[in-house]
Amino acid sequence: MSKRVVSVMSLFVILSLLAACAPSPTPQIVEKVVTKEVEKTVIATVEVEKKVVETVEVEKPVEVVVTATPSAEEAEVAYKRNETLYTSGAAWGPPSDWNPFITWSKANTSGTIGLVYETLFLYDPLADKMIPWLAESGTWSDANTYDLKLRQGITWSDGQPLTAADVVFTFELGKYAGIWFNPMWKWLNSATALSDYEVQFKFTNPLYQEWDNNLYNIAIVPKHLWEGRTEEEVTSGANENPIGSGAYLYETHSEDRNVWVRNENWWATKLLNLKPAPKRIVDIRFSSNNVALGAVIKGEVDLSNNFLPGIATLAEKGYVQTYFAGPPYMLSANTAVLFLNTTKKPMDDPAFRKALAFAINTPDIVNVAYANLVKAANPTGLLPSLEKYVDQDVVARLGFSYDPAKAKKILADAGYKDVNGDGFVEAPDGSAIALKVTCPFGWTDWMEAIRIIATSAQAAGINIQDETPDYGAWNTALTTGTFDMTLNNWAGMSNTPWTLYNLLFRHPIVEVMGSGNFGRYDNQQIFDLVDQLAATPSSDEAGMKAICSKIQELMLTEMPVIPLWYNGLWAQYSNLVWTNWPTEAADTPNTLPSTWSGYWQMGGLLTLTTLKPVE
Amino acid sequence: MDLQVRSETLYFAWRNTKLRVGLSVVLFFVALTFIGPLLTDYAPYDYVGPAAQPPSPEYWFGTTIFGQDVFTQFVMGLKATFQVGIIGGGLGTLLGILIGFTAGYRGGLVDEILNIFTNIVLVIPTLAILLIIAAYLEVRGILTESVFIGCTAWPWAARAIRAQTFSLRTREFVDLARLSGMNVWRIIMTEIAPNMMSYLLLVFILQFGGAVLIAATLDFIGLGPTNAVSLGLMMNNAVLWGALLLGMWWWFIPPGLAIMAIVGALYVTNVGLDEVFSPKLREM
Amino acid sequence: MRRYFGRKLLIYVLTFFLAVTIDWLIPRFMPGDPVQTMLSRAALHAEAREVMYGYYVRAFGLDVPLWQQYLNFWNALFHGDLGTSVYLFPQPVVKVIMRAVPYDILLLLPAILLSWFAGNHFGAIAARTRWLDNTLLPVGYILTATPYMWLGILLAWVFGIVLGIFPIAGAYSFELRPHLSGAFLASLLKHWFLPFASIFLVKFGGWAIGMRNMIIYELESDYAHYLEALGTPRKLIRKYAFRNAILPQITGLALDLGVIVAGALVTEVVFSYPGIGYLILQAIQNQDYFLIQGCFLFIIIGVLLANFAIDIAYVIVDPRTRLGMTGEGA
Repeated sequence: MSKRVVSVMSLFVILSLLAACAPSPTPQIVEKVVTKEVEKTVIATVEVEKKVVETVEVEKPVEVVVTATPSAEEAEVAYKRNETLYTSGAAWGPPSDWNPFITWSKANTSGTIGLVYETLFLYDPLADKMIPWLAESGTWSDANTYDLKLRQGITWSDGQPLTAADVVFTFELGKYAGIWFNPMWKWLNSATALSDYEVQFKFTNPLYQEWDNNLYNIAIVPKHLWEGRTEEEVTSGANENPIGSGAYLYETHSEDRNVWVRNENWWATKLLNLKPAPKRIVDIRFSSNNVALGAVIKGEVDLSNNFLPGIATLAEKGYVQTYFAGPPYMLSANTAVLFLNTTKKPMDDPAFRKALAFAINTPDIVNVAYANLVKAANPTGLLPSLEKYVDQDVVARLGFSYDPAKAKKILADAGYKDVNGDGFVEAPDGSAIALKVTCPFGWTDWMEAIRIIATSAQAAGINIQDETPDYGAWNTALTTGTFDMTLNNWAGMSNTPWTLYNLLFRHPIVEVMGSGNFGRYDNQQIFDLVDQLAATPSSDEAGMKAICSKIQELMLTEMPVIPLWYNGLWAQYSNLVWTNWPTEAADTPNTLPSTWSGYWQMGGLLTLTTLKPVE
Repeated sequence: MDLQVRSETLYFAWRNTKLRVGLSVVLFFVALTFIGPLLTDYAPYDYVGPAAQPPSPEYWFGTTIFGQDVFTQFVMGLKATFQVGIIGGGLGTLLGILIGFTAGYRGGLVDEILNIFTNIVLVIPTLAILLIIAAYLEVRGILTESVFIGCTAWPWAARAIRAQTFSLRTREFVDLARLSGMNVWRIIMTEIAPNMMSYLLLVFILQFGGAVLIAATLDFIGLGPTNAVSLGLMMNNAVLWGALLLGMWWWFIPPGLAIMAIVGALYVTNVGLDEVFSPKLREM
Repeated sequence: MRRYFGRKLLIYVLTFFLAVTIDWLIPRFMPGDPVQTMLSRAALHAEAREVMYGYYVRAFGLDVPLWQQYLNFWNALFHGDLGTSVYLFPQPVVKVIMRAVPYDILLLLPAILLSWFAGNHFGAIAARTRWLDNTLLPVGYILTATPYMWLGILLAWVFGIVLGIFPIAGAYSFELRPHLSGAFLASLLKHWFLPFASIFLVKFGGWAIGMRNMIIYELESDYAHYLEALGTPRKLIRKYAFRNAILPQITGLALDLGVIVAGALVTEVVFSYPGIGYLILQAIQNQDYFLIQGCFLFIIIGVLLANFAIDIAYVIVDPRTRLGMTGEGA
């Protein structure tokens, strides 16, 4: 008997320990920064780069003194269902940092940029419109000068005003080599605060497209809390308890969730009359689709941005709601492109590449592997939101679609024949063709897709096998150019077609191609056109279209990459607690229903302001 | 073992219910492995029918979310299971025999060193090692998987065999052989091994079962073969594609059930054999 | 007894040394480049990538000769530093692991101990009760032959989805934040139950069968028959049999720990239970070598400590070891 008591007691002790170990209710954190002598901000880039090398070695004591004071309002421990929005699908790992400058981990704390830190502009991809946000306006006063006006009355969540000094400070942080927008300083000359609410940017050689993109992606941080930090802390510090200007405040987190609580003093409530409906957002990381699917059906999650196979059936039955009521159910978020390694035979032959494009059974990928959750891509690869840049005439002349007969004919015309009678063609020089199409193991939908690619190519007489190495091996093969052909989708929704072309035709070709042109397609003509597009002002739509048309003509003639389908902006909503979700219908909002990193500032945040609680 | 003992053993084997039941189940699955592929016209990953169909006369075990035939995957997976069991379990037993025999027969320093080595490998969690090995290999097949499982599964077999050899070595008939000038290997082969045959069979059966379970674990967490069909992979796929919530029980029940039945039947066979080999236990 | 512990200690030290060395080898010889993989998640310009690559290679201490890395690794280890996670950059590995450890203790300790006690208890009873033996034996074999994840999937499906009684993921409800209250503890227990049950059941079968067979062996042994012939009460013989049978079960527990760790790993994966098993899988999937290293080391240390505890228990239970007769080997 007593043994039992002991075991129950010890269990209780463990449980209490557990409760104690978990993050305690966050007290209001007052950060007092013991300012050290900071490097002068205006140092030439080269010097800063040298600094990187030095600072790494030195272990610096943390210079931030944190004093905790009990919060005015006792932190809530059990969330009220009708005040809380449960989301999922953004994070793929446990939260690890809240630093808006560490870009690759932001998915896991996707609210860092968008909910806590904000950008100067928002971008609405459905309307193709920049929405002034922290900025009131921005204009090119001449070809090399951009004048930015800030809104007055914006405050950081610690009460300090947000001013031009913060904007200049943030942009100048980009002089650190470890900051993602560092290359901008190659063509940006200076950022100067003309007054508390005016910033002037001077350029040497403005890349307008990229600039617009940066305007809604660079999160502004408060100078008074960041200026004391070392370069290492800025570029790779965890930045716990972030202080921003946004609609939500960091509340707590654990391995499988981020909790954000509404900022009741948010500037946009006063200035723009916007108020996000949920008091609290619990952003959940589900380990598997299975669990996410269950939660959204039961209404335990209000907005799921997971890829959930089988959702089409459930949407038809009315268990969940999606943006479109019928196929493809989802908006298109990015293009799945088949990169061909053009340095290898026979992928160096445009005729072979073109034949392959006709051989791939994209309808099967769309209808079977994805069960209609995605849409076949336009041959140019441009997303539907950028459709106006597609030259329909070029597509009509040079486009491709699934047509095995045509594939066989192109192969035959180019001299590819089945010499040894094994059912697969040999190259014109008689050498055998045996290729592999890859994607990382565990990416289940893509694994199905490459299986279809391989089997349909085989049916057209091209010997391609599908193979799924582990992610690390796949990534190494991708960036060092040792693969044959592989899928990639690293260009998402954007304000400009340049984003996609920057992925497809990134140049110059170097030893490690880390973020584009994996197939090492070398064509100076296209590279020049892409550069030209980057330097075209966004206002010059006709000019952009003309350049895009030329790129498309070359791309579809040469076929160095094969755009296949659009991955969806996966989003399924439950109407049990929150309603008025975005759909294609006219009487509902038309903002993006997404919590993914980078999508808050493309409409995700606005979606929160139009939600309505169920009575 | 003379003829009479052998026929007596067979007699008791036939009378032992555990052995009969266990062996029948195992043989049933072995037969299914060979006959199964003849009963299906499909390839395991081909899209052959409507998606997510429950079992029907046409698709005996139903179809996956893509309309692949679950029965086809199942019988192909059975084959992989037996492959892993035989190769992995066989290799584990073989290594166990080699190390156990050597240690037990030689004794002394060799024994000491091998014993320490065995104990070290025993303590290190096998799965952790396998995970790391698996992660080293970019592309994996059933064969490599089996070999690695075999290479990490031997320690307890070695330990058990060492103990057996140890006790046999000191028996009179071995001493007699040694005095008569037989060389070591002949003694092992003619005197010790035959006396341990039954014991080795039991060890092999347990190793077989262990290898199958470990392989299922590896496959399930996505570190199994990257280019094959297996029962563990079926479960992995079923879970990844939401079979639980979509109620597609026919996708995840058969593979686990088959593993459970095969391994369970082997264990029961093992006990049955044990009773047959050691007369003392027969009464129960 | 000194010799017994001396040998054990030697084995533990050697095991630890070997394990740490294997552990250190992991990130150095794996395919793929962890830093490259990390950077590939951020769309960087070529120049920025190069600078940052150098930066992180230094930050992870990968820029010095291998022998020096090896020494540094030992040095850092003794300072309790396991490096920085790549997947959860910039979190230190130790911190990440320490967050997972309480859940492992919560899940594994009760599952291992309760299944061992209950299994041995039932096994011993079954060995002398015909009807119980006939029912327990098949059930025990079925349980012990069940793959952990399959039992987990079944339990999740039946109790979590079909009946909807238990949650199937996480360690506590998404509507709560950790605090000391009945509601929170109830939520914790509710999430703990299914993963616990699936480990418990599989292990229970194994122990029960082992005990049952062992007792029958003992009861059929010469000394039991001898005692019986002398007219010793059956109850007393059974007591002796139980005493002798429990020893191999203790050794079995020590040997089985590694297997249980594996079982816990897949169970945690099935139920998304935030322990080390779940963490190690994520680390592997994300090529986070430093985190794999740390988790592996933690498992080794855990298993070694548990083994040590069992060794002590063994000495207490088995008088022979106390007298200096080494109990192992036979």
